[in-house]
Amino acid sequence: MGTLLVVPRSVLIIEDDPRIRRILQMTLQREGLEVTEAESGESGLARVGEHEFDVVLLDLMLPGMDGFEVCREIRRSSNVPIIMVTARADSHDVVAGLEAGADDYVSKPVVAKELSARIRALARRTRAPEPRLRITVGDLEIAPQEGTVTRGGQALNLTRTEFRLLCELAEEPGRVMSREELLERVWGYDYFGDSRLVDVHVRRLRKKVEHDPGQPTVVTTVRGMGYRIPA
Amino acid sequence: MTTTRSRPQPAPAPDLEELDREQARGERRWAWRWRVPVHTLRGRATLAFTVVTSVLCAVLAVAVWVAVSQYLLVQRERATLVQTAANGAQVQRALGTEGLSVPQVLAQLPRETGSVSLYVDDGEWLTSSLSIGRDDLPDALAETVLSGTPARQRIAVQGETLMAVGIPLTNLDEAYFEIYPLEELDNTYRVLAAVLTLSVAGLVPLLLSVGWWVTGPALRPLNRIAAAAASIAEGDLSARIDSRGDPALAPIATSFNHTVAALEARVRTDARFAADVSHELRSPLTAMLGALDLVEAAADDLPPDGQEGVAVLRAEMHRFERLVADLLEISRADAGNADLVVEEVRLAALVQEALARRRLAGRDDAPVHVDADASDVVIDADKRRLERVLGNLMDNADKHGGGLTGVTVARGEDTVCVMVDDAGPGVPEEERARVFDRFARGAGSIRTRTEGAGLGLALVARHVHAMGGTVTVDQSPSGGARFTVVLPVEITP
Repeated sequence: MGTLLVVPRSVLIIEDDPRIRRILQMTLQREGLEVTEAESGESGLARVGEHEFDVVLLDLMLPGMDGFEVCREIRRSSNVPIIMVTARADSHDVVAGLEAGADDYVSKPVVAKELSARIRALARRTRAPEPRLRITVGDLEIAPQEGTVTRGGQALNLTRTEFRLLCELAEEPGRVMSREELLERVWGYDYFGDSRLVDVHVRRLRKKVEHDPGQPTVVTTVRGMGYRIPA
Repeated sequence: MTTTRSRPQPAPAPDLEELDREQARGERRWAWRWRVPVHTLRGRATLAFTVVTSVLCAVLAVAVWVAVSQYLLVQRERATLVQTAANGAQVQRALGTEGLSVPQVLAQLPRETGSVSLYVDDGEWLTSSLSIGRDDLPDALAETVLSGTPARQRIAVQGETLMAVGIPLTNLDEAYFEIYPLEELDNTYRVLAAVLTLSVAGLVPLLLSVGWWVTGPALRPLNRIAAAAASIAEGDLSARIDSRGDPALAPIATSFNHTVAALEARVRTDARFAADVSHELRSPLTAMLGALDLVEAAADDLPPDGQEGVAVLRAEMHRFERLVADLLEISRADAGNADLVVEEVRLAALVQEALARRRLAGRDDAPVHVDADASDVVIDADKRRLERVLGNLMDNADKHGGGLTGVTVARGEDTVCVMVDDAGPGVPEEERARVFDRFARGAGSIRTRTEGAGLGLALVARHVHAMGGTVTVDQSPSGGARFTVVLPVEITP
């Protein structure tokens, strides 16, 4: 049936450096995206409240309210995909940003091609080789088409990335998926993926779907191999 | 699962046990050859201890000898006087009552073996011995006794030391003398002297051992200082001396620790400065790369020399970007705040991926060989750093080693290793330790100015050490250089 694609149209850039903001805006506009700018965390939050964006590009190093805070604040009201811009790929910033609710990250210096690839990957919706109406995992009921997960009629609030992660694993129950495979399927990475993305998202997902996140039963770890949803 | 460690494990410091073992080995060697290593502090301390105590023992031995010999002499003198007086009295009594001749009386006297009796009456001398007579007695002694005073004197007869004791008898010009051998006493002196000398001589090695044994624990604080200094020399600036409440060590420990702390702060500041600089470069770099993309998109409209300029700009920007990234990475490691993200990594798969990435980037492919027992090994490592290590080693082979010729993954006992071979001339032995220094450019190597900044291998070494492994370079069987990364494998049941 192919992939259900949503062509991203609107991007919000929250970045304090005007030159970088301008360059990013021009680059992304060339890719056919509609770009909105915000020069601080506060104004960025205000924009998120006014308009529904397909992707938010968030610099973690902001004066005043920092990127982590902005990220958590956005997550209170919205599941919009967030790409954070980190200064370094090898720091705690990445994990902290992901824990705060970001979906993906790029590190400075930002390369335009990489950035637009990330934006496209995140804005894509769940791919459904055989669109099934309902997938049941234990007491969870997943509706891939609608993008909802319910437990006992109660809807669980997952971000889009968490939801896609859950769907990929639930599509083939019992099969172990490596971090690399999940990076490719959920984030659209080929070889350059950071497996911390998978680990942190699994952690976040478990907090929402497990009865006891410390003793996961829905999404289990297979040492040295990856993750799976037991059949 | 991913876990993070706030700091890389410090380079393993030479621990005290190791030093103790070193010591034990030294001790054995020393015990075997009976030689004190005088060039060491411990050796000198042991020697000084031994000399002082040996001299004290010798003085004590001499004092004992003097006191004992003096005592024995006095005892002997007293005993001979008593004996002589008793015999003198018996001579007088016998001569007075029983009417025996003088030789008969003298013969009957109870005498100890070897002693000789002399009797004089009115200038007539009689002796119980054939060899010793009047002539052997000094005149002064005879006169003193004959004038009414008991006296004694040491005399020498035919090379033998004797003791002559005389007592006056009732009549004038009548006296009794007895001559005792002192040989036995002299023997006693000799034995005593020999025993004392041997004891002192025998004590010296014992004192050496005791000194060695005692100075060990006494100087152990110095070992701690040495260990701390050694780990600092190896680059672990967090090493400190723990005085462990030892008041003698506390001042040294305090000043040493202050110095190292100042040094550490200085190094960290320098490293942080480098990190800050490269960090600050990243924002303008982002803007420049973005701008370059825009220019490149419009490059078709540029005149040919403008297009060439853009191409140069692209190449240089790429180099600059790499340099900034490497510099940031290495200075962050130096500043001690590089985070180690440990996760389970299937090493063989990672190597395959790194090679696949090369193919994707259009580089020459190289054969990879994975030993059967190494293909499933999972190690706890920082995947990103490990990718960096493999990438840098392969880049190094391409840029400086005439091309990558092969990668091998092999399993050790509790290690797993990756060997990266190249087709170059190899690294001369004298340069092998230096290739991992930052900005190292071997004089004999084929490195040129345009090929990287020389940080790649330094980063490899940093990352491998941070993960508890080692990296070395030697000759590959095919002649080129072989870089070997050895990483520990956590034994899982």
